[in-house]
Amino acid sequence: MPVITLPYQYLERLVGMDRETIVERLPMFGSDIERREEDHVDVEFFANRPDLFSTEGAARALRGFLGIEQGAVRYETTPSGISFTVDPGLATIRPYLGSAVVRGLSLDEEAIISLMGLQESLHWAVGRGRRKVAIGLHDLGRITPPFRYLASPRNRGFVPLDYDQEMTMEEMLVEHPKGRAYAHLVRDAPRFPLIVDAQDRVLSFPPIINGELTRVSTTTTDVLLDCTGTDRRAVETATTILCVALAEDGGRIESVEIDGVPGPDLGPSFREVSVDECNRLLGLDLDAPTMASLLQRMRFGAEPIGEDRVRVEVPCYRADIMHDWDVFEDVAIAHGYDRFEAVPSKTATIAKERPETRLKMAVREVLCGLGHMETMPFVLTSEGVLFSKMRREPDPRALHVLHPISEEQSVARTSLLPLLMELLEFNRFRELPQRLFAVGEIVTGVETGLGAAAVSCHGTADFSEAYGIADALCRELGLAYTAVESDDPAFIDGRRGALVLNGTTLGVFGEVHPEVLEMFGLEHPVAAVEVDLSRLL
Amino acid sequence: MSRREREPGVGPGTDNHRPGYGDDGTESTKSMTGGRYVLSLNERRLLAALAPLGRADASTLGRELGATADAVVQYASLLAQNGGLAVVERSVETSYALTEEGQRYALEGLPERQLLDSFTEKATMAELKNHPLASIGIGWLRRKGWVTIRDGVVEKAGNAPKGEDEQTLTSTILEDGPGLAELLKRGLAVERESVRYTVSITEAGEALARGGLDLREEVGQLTHEMILTGSWRETPLRRYRVDRLPRRLIPGKVHPYQRLLDEMRTILQDMGFVEMGGGLVQSGFWNFDALFQPQDHPAREMQDTFHLEGEAILPPGWERVRAMHEHGGETTSTGWGGTWQEAKARQQVLRTHLTGLSIQYLASHPTPPVKAFAIGRVFRREAIDPTHLPEFEQLEGIVMDEGVTFSHLLGFLREFYRRLGFPQVRFRPGYFPYTEPSVEPEVFVEGLGWVELGGAGVFREEVTAPFGIDHPVLAWGLGASRLAMLRLGLKDLRQLYRSDIDWCRETYIYPGRGGR
Repeated sequence: MPVITLPYQYLERLVGMDRETIVERLPMFGSDIERREEDHVDVEFFANRPDLFSTEGAARALRGFLGIEQGAVRYETTPSGISFTVDPGLATIRPYLGSAVVRGLSLDEEAIISLMGLQESLHWAVGRGRRKVAIGLHDLGRITPPFRYLASPRNRGFVPLDYDQEMTMEEMLVEHPKGRAYAHLVRDAPRFPLIVDAQDRVLSFPPIINGELTRVSTTTTDVLLDCTGTDRRAVETATTILCVALAEDGGRIESVEIDGVPGPDLGPSFREVSVDECNRLLGLDLDAPTMASLLQRMRFGAEPIGEDRVRVEVPCYRADIMHDWDVFEDVAIAHGYDRFEAVPSKTATIAKERPETRLKMAVREVLCGLGHMETMPFVLTSEGVLFSKMRREPDPRALHVLHPISEEQSVARTSLLPLLMELLEFNRFRELPQRLFAVGEIVTGVETGLGAAAVSCHGTADFSEAYGIADALCRELGLAYTAVESDDPAFIDGRRGALVLNGTTLGVFGEVHPEVLEMFGLEHPVAAVEVDLSRLL
Repeated sequence: MSRREREPGVGPGTDNHRPGYGDDGTESTKSMTGGRYVLSLNERRLLAALAPLGRADASTLGRELGATADAVVQYASLLAQNGGLAVVERSVETSYALTEEGQRYALEGLPERQLLDSFTEKATMAELKNHPLASIGIGWLRRKGWVTIRDGVVEKAGNAPKGEDEQTLTSTILEDGPGLAELLKRGLAVERESVRYTVSITEAGEALARGGLDLREEVGQLTHEMILTGSWRETPLRRYRVDRLPRRLIPGKVHPYQRLLDEMRTILQDMGFVEMGGGLVQSGFWNFDALFQPQDHPAREMQDTFHLEGEAILPPGWERVRAMHEHGGETTSTGWGGTWQEAKARQQVLRTHLTGLSIQYLASHPTPPVKAFAIGRVFRREAIDPTHLPEFEQLEGIVMDEGVTFSHLLGFLREFYRRLGFPQVRFRPGYFPYTEPSVEPEVFVEGLGWVELGGAGVFREEVTAPFGIDHPVLAWGLGASRLAMLRLGLKDLRQLYRSDIDWCRETYIYPGRGGR
């Protein structure tokens, strides 16, 4: 989640309330306070509320929540007379464009930093790392409309931001830090997205980098905004949120015609919601006027229509409102999560545990009774532990994850014994005897089964002990097994047995092979048992 | 239980009850058969032997008791400590003894004497040098003036009377004197210090002995024979000490973390919830799409989720989920827009949460009331460090019923956390793609303040509608490992899965009020 820095003085001025009150109420509005510093507080807002990713946006919402200002803010646009064309060649590369002109700004350093912060948060939360949307802000005074959004040859050059020399776009992907970071978004495209002005000067190479030419500074008063992307709705959301943030900074928003269609539309949308449905969801007993006033606190426009309806004006920046219940959640927040009567529902129901849980408990009872200590090893392990250290052939049905972080967590365990051997290795300096067991999921192919294993490590651990444990476990679980000689290479020949039930091998037991002991760094014999209990379920 | 110190080296085979001061390792326990004194059988036997003598040397007593002098001194010291029943005196005496060489000469004569006896009046030096003791003897012959040597001829110089050294050498007791001094100088005798212990009985000891001492053999093990024959009635059983801890036994135990999971399971069963479960491998469809998680959500990507090979089969009616994502299906929702890709839904993953089980359970149990829970392992693609693991346990609970509300959800949460030992709970707004409203419960932990513990909400209509679920679904999830950190006081989550056996041994099953 994006962490937003809210400078206290600026926040206090925008909200009109002292910092202590604001910080105290913030969690109940829906945010995590990350840390408090001398002059600012860092807060985490949820990913579905990009409208809060700037001090201006957060202040707008808090003015409502704290009861200072109610209802929806309306943002007007006037035509700028500026137009944009979009190259049809971008259809398969990066087709969508949103744009606006903002005039009359006076930006100080802090406002520019805040604007860049908003941009970054939007790139992350709405843009999904600039893939869906990338944002550019340009000093309008340095360029000449109309503008063109092109699919350009890849070897075209310009001077990128923070550089003083021209380089080609292909070079930027290798040499410019931003180029390297986002190269994957365009690398395979036959042509690169490019925005130029009437004199063919480059504004931006979206989604990679702007040109140095249009750098926004404290002397910038008029700004051209571009949002390009692969998702129409995300492009609209980002454009809208930036426009209203700049409007809160004192800018006048002007629309831009893109292929003849003017935008952005900063007008609200409307929903008529049911008071009864809201009450049934939240367990409240609100009437329409109360519900309307709660929504106004959340900066919606709201008016009751009869007893059961409220007409809700949803500001353009509330991209998260997809469904009536999203509106009802805001009713709940305005009502106060701390004011709900928290009582469980009364319907009588009868509990039941899974057969698998009962079986696991039975295994635990037997093995604890035999003096074994339960362990809960990882499911993800390595082929080395599962097979080679156990002298076993790799199981072709073992489930491998596609992009493991490390070799050590790359395969799901097919049995539990190797994991217990590894635990003995971790504990090889601990006092003996060590008697361990585990019962839990084992994975074959994509099927989840249930396995159990037990080990006993001490100076006189032997076949008889292993057989005794296997016998006790099977007997207590009602398994009328027959034991035959096993050929499992993890055990010593002549000191190993297989547990067979109705013609199927259920498990194996015996004295662990000294070579296996060596591989796990163990210096004492180990008697071991493992069984696959999947068929018992 | 108060923690008493154990002797060092407590381990298998060590029996701490046995103080270990008996000379044979078994005859070491105390008996009350010495009146108000607690005496071992050995101490009583010593006292009985000492009584007629009054005072005796330890070795003398040892012979009588069939024990070493050292053992006698040990028993006597205990008698001395034990109410002053005896007194032990230590004295040091000097004595002399012949060395091995000296002993040989005592039998065969000193080398010079043997040399002198080997010829009659005269001998040549060459003849004399053939004698085995020539190298030592010739010098002494000259020094004692027993011979004269001229031009290679050795001639006896008189009758060579026995010297003091020779007299001492053959005497039974080596008395101090010039002869002994000579032998000591020649290394034929050595000085020895011997320590002697003398034991004498005190008045209290005599009184006790007069009263009669039980000198019957004690028995360590009450045997089957003794019980059958009734001989236990006449057999004194050796007493054990309770002031020393026994050998430490470690019972087989359920893992501390499993006990916590069982506790959570019990709480939910107490609250009337049915346990649900499912496989570790899930399709993207059930793990994400069915929960209205957008297909481009970062959590779905390779960086965060373990993807697997192969394709899952989608359940009948999957098209309704597609419609929901693309445009909100038949609800008032707008959906996420864009194109929903079937291929992404078919991708298989290691389940990232148990909410995918909840929606599957609801899809197959659409009739209210449903109260269900699951506790199981989930996977996130994280590198291992003390607070992050790629796998951990999660708890998931759902309530689906006619007329259940967000208030009821908060009620269930409050009740659950209260039973888990967190009486103070507060609720903050939260955000999850599949619930609306969403809530983040926090519990108050002494020393830490408010700690976020899980997430909850009411399933969105976008989640329930495609499966024909007509009533609200209250849902919550909780990372059990986080709870384990709080409850078991862990700093490193790896301890749960790669447990140090000593930690398991030391973590008590029921850390009740008697506590450690």
